[in-house]
Amino acid sequence: MGVNLSASSQGDSGPSTATPETIDEAAGMMANLPAGGDRIRIQGGGSHRGIGYPVTSDMILSTSRLDRVVAWEPDDLTVVVEAGVLVEELEEMLASKGQTALLTEHAGTGTVGGAIATARSGWRRYRYGPIRDRVLQITLVSSDGRVVTAGGRVVKNVTGYDIPRLATGSLGAMGLIARVCLKLWPVPQAAATVPVESAEEALDIAYRPLAVLETPDGAAVFLGGTPEEVAGQAAALGAEPAAGLNWPSHPSGAVRFSVRTPASSLRGIVDRLDPAWNYVAQFGVGEVMVATDEVALEELEEMRRRAESLGGALVMLDAPAPMVRAFDPWGTPPPSMEIQRRIVNLFDPGRRINRGILPGRI
Amino acid sequence: MLIPSCLTVRNHYYHMVVRSLELELRRRLGDEQVASDPLDLYVFGKDAGLVRGEPGLVVFPRSTDEVATIMRLAGRHGVPVVPRGSGTGLAGGAVTTGPHVLLVTTNMNRIGRLDVENRCVWVQPGVINLDLSVHTTPFGLHYAPDPSSQSVCTIGGNVANNSGGPHCLAEGTTVNHVLAMEIVTPDGDIVVVGGPAPDPIGLDVRGLMVGSEGTLGIVTDVLVNLLPNPPASRTILLAFPEVEQAAATVSGIIANGLVPAALEMMDQPMTIAVERFANAGFPTEAAAVLIAEVTGHPSAVDAEAEVVRRLAASHQATVIRIASDEAERERIWLGRKSAFGAIAQMNPDYYLHDTVVPRTRLVEAIKQTYAISKRHGIPMLNVFHAGDGNLHPLMSFDASVPGVMERVEAAGKDLIELCVAIGGSLSGEHGIGLEKRDYMHLVFDEMDLDAQARVREALDPDGKLNPGKIVPQGSRCFDFGQPPPEGAWV
Repeated sequence: MGVNLSASSQGDSGPSTATPETIDEAAGMMANLPAGGDRIRIQGGGSHRGIGYPVTSDMILSTSRLDRVVAWEPDDLTVVVEAGVLVEELEEMLASKGQTALLTEHAGTGTVGGAIATARSGWRRYRYGPIRDRVLQITLVSSDGRVVTAGGRVVKNVTGYDIPRLATGSLGAMGLIARVCLKLWPVPQAAATVPVESAEEALDIAYRPLAVLETPDGAAVFLGGTPEEVAGQAAALGAEPAAGLNWPSHPSGAVRFSVRTPASSLRGIVDRLDPAWNYVAQFGVGEVMVATDEVALEELEEMRRRAESLGGALVMLDAPAPMVRAFDPWGTPPPSMEIQRRIVNLFDPGRRINRGILPGRI
Repeated sequence: MLIPSCLTVRNHYYHMVVRSLELELRRRLGDEQVASDPLDLYVFGKDAGLVRGEPGLVVFPRSTDEVATIMRLAGRHGVPVVPRGSGTGLAGGAVTTGPHVLLVTTNMNRIGRLDVENRCVWVQPGVINLDLSVHTTPFGLHYAPDPSSQSVCTIGGNVANNSGGPHCLAEGTTVNHVLAMEIVTPDGDIVVVGGPAPDPIGLDVRGLMVGSEGTLGIVTDVLVNLLPNPPASRTILLAFPEVEQAAATVSGIIANGLVPAALEMMDQPMTIAVERFANAGFPTEAAAVLIAEVTGHPSAVDAEAEVVRRLAASHQATVIRIASDEAERERIWLGRKSAFGAIAQMNPDYYLHDTVVPRTRLVEAIKQTYAISKRHGIPMLNVFHAGDGNLHPLMSFDASVPGVMERVEAAGKDLIELCVAIGGSLSGEHGIGLEKRDYMHLVFDEMDLDAQARVREALDPDGKLNPGKIVPQGSRCFDFGQPPPEGAWV
């Protein structure tokens, strides 16, 4: 078997890195791990590595060579890709025929597998829904070497349990996300970005825009549709539109976190953010992504209390090690913890992949 | 002397257990919430499909606590529980595979306080789909999934089957509109999954529950997402001399960057039947009738309707009619949603199938349905969600004619095999239930089915809920329940 194990740069004690080139090869590697040296960490593009509880591992399995576009059916609005395909490369390919997978707009080194594993949606979710809504089929490789496919390559399907949806956001705990079929959308003919005074008022005026985002620099409505619609909606908003979609980049800083609340409660969160912090708030959705180099634990705790009391959460996306130890990355575990634990234990017997990363340290 | 077999003794014992459970449930819930008359058991023995079973007793809980009580008592007696809404399902998902407890949710029909700001509302599972949208209309909101049976089907049933409807092309199916739910687990515990904020942490158990056909938990309250009513819409009736031209128009619309709210197609046999029944003004000489609806901002709909008109014209449409007012729009939709009524006029029985193919294979699939219809001598009419490749061939027949059911069965099998062969799936929105359970191996290999069985095992290890559904027996190292009831033909 063409197992490709390269020595780690971290010396003898560090984990080795495996870069399988095919799904079968990944399955073979997992099935043949030595007992006692079998904790695996999955690595994609590295853009989400700060999420969840820290994971200790004997081996890193990189998806970087699982990078094939398996099938693209533009007329069926579906694409099948392996986990290591870069989001930006996929979107560039799809754009050549006027389509999009609605993945995150500033992916950097991010992979499709990483986006699915972390359930990271793009800014357009207000109009098109979260990334979960587009994972039609998934192929998982379990740590005992099983290759499991669920869902189907059709845009509407109730054949069996919705394992694709369950695995989206599972951070690898149900198995390596090796291949997915995604539902695509046509890119609207016209698009514009309209700066507005108030995000909330804009939400009331615009009919289902792509997004209404606010950053420390101000708020804007993002429109897509026929040229007639974009012009009409911009006129109703009463501001001069800029052509195209000028998406804000993800806020950057040593500490990054996401606060999620019911949509109408987002203003109460945003108004309490420290003026020095960078943020992008998704109005109508109920999420604000925040970044800063400095934050007091008490501030985070207070914000988490507020979000959780509203039925939401404060989730750490990245933080320096001391903060990870001092401040729980997930917060209060959900009430369905026991169900989640049983699912994970049956999908990853022995809990070898990204062990302990999920809420409840599953 | 006759010596009773082990099986007879076991069955006798089992019936005594069910009667003991019935007595306890009557004591705890009251007589009016428990039914066990032979007529009740017969009436609740099937859904809208063809498979018949016979429950041991029927219960009508009024609250989550009562559902939990039923689950615990039934569990203690070792009697499985099968949830049921209005019974409009077509795959036998709510048909018991033995003398089990049928738990009917229709008395749990309260709509909670509408959260207008967040556009969501908690509803109990017995709420009728259409009643919900009627309730929210004064607030300018609606619940997007709109199955053709929406005037009778329940939200709980919609959740169980991940129901869609004509308008799910742009807006998605039930799973895209459920934010959270309260469930009663097989052990009788009450758990809330999901939440009112985006991306609740941990695994998406809420998403897993949708479409699980009551095999993983009983949904007792659902937080549904509502959408603003579109300020404008245009409904366009199109007719084509060939099915290919209608399909090409559908592809062209999407290739032009539009995903209309609905793209519904009917073939000529169906159009003729509907026209005779509903007099909706559909052109009966056309090979295919296409209903396209675009909704949105007032500045959007005319431009989008023009795109549809232009594409239809370029594909030789013989009729292009944009509904001039709400009355005409309603008449078109009445025609579309009358398909089942129209079929009922033709023959005493009908069987509505549900499969999905990649949209580009639609024409091929339809032509093949004609060949299958001819081969088995069963009239087949097609009405389908063309935008997402969801086929609904309707077979029309008289079940009392000897040999007909065997032909219906054979035709159904051919249809499923055809759709799978061209890259499709077993069900788009009706579910697997009993009807398609034993076809699961057509789309999944052993490892895949084992994973499906693991999901079941994680949530219901003892088979307390809706046994025998979705996952074929023997997919994992334990049995999922009783064999299908007598007369179950697929």
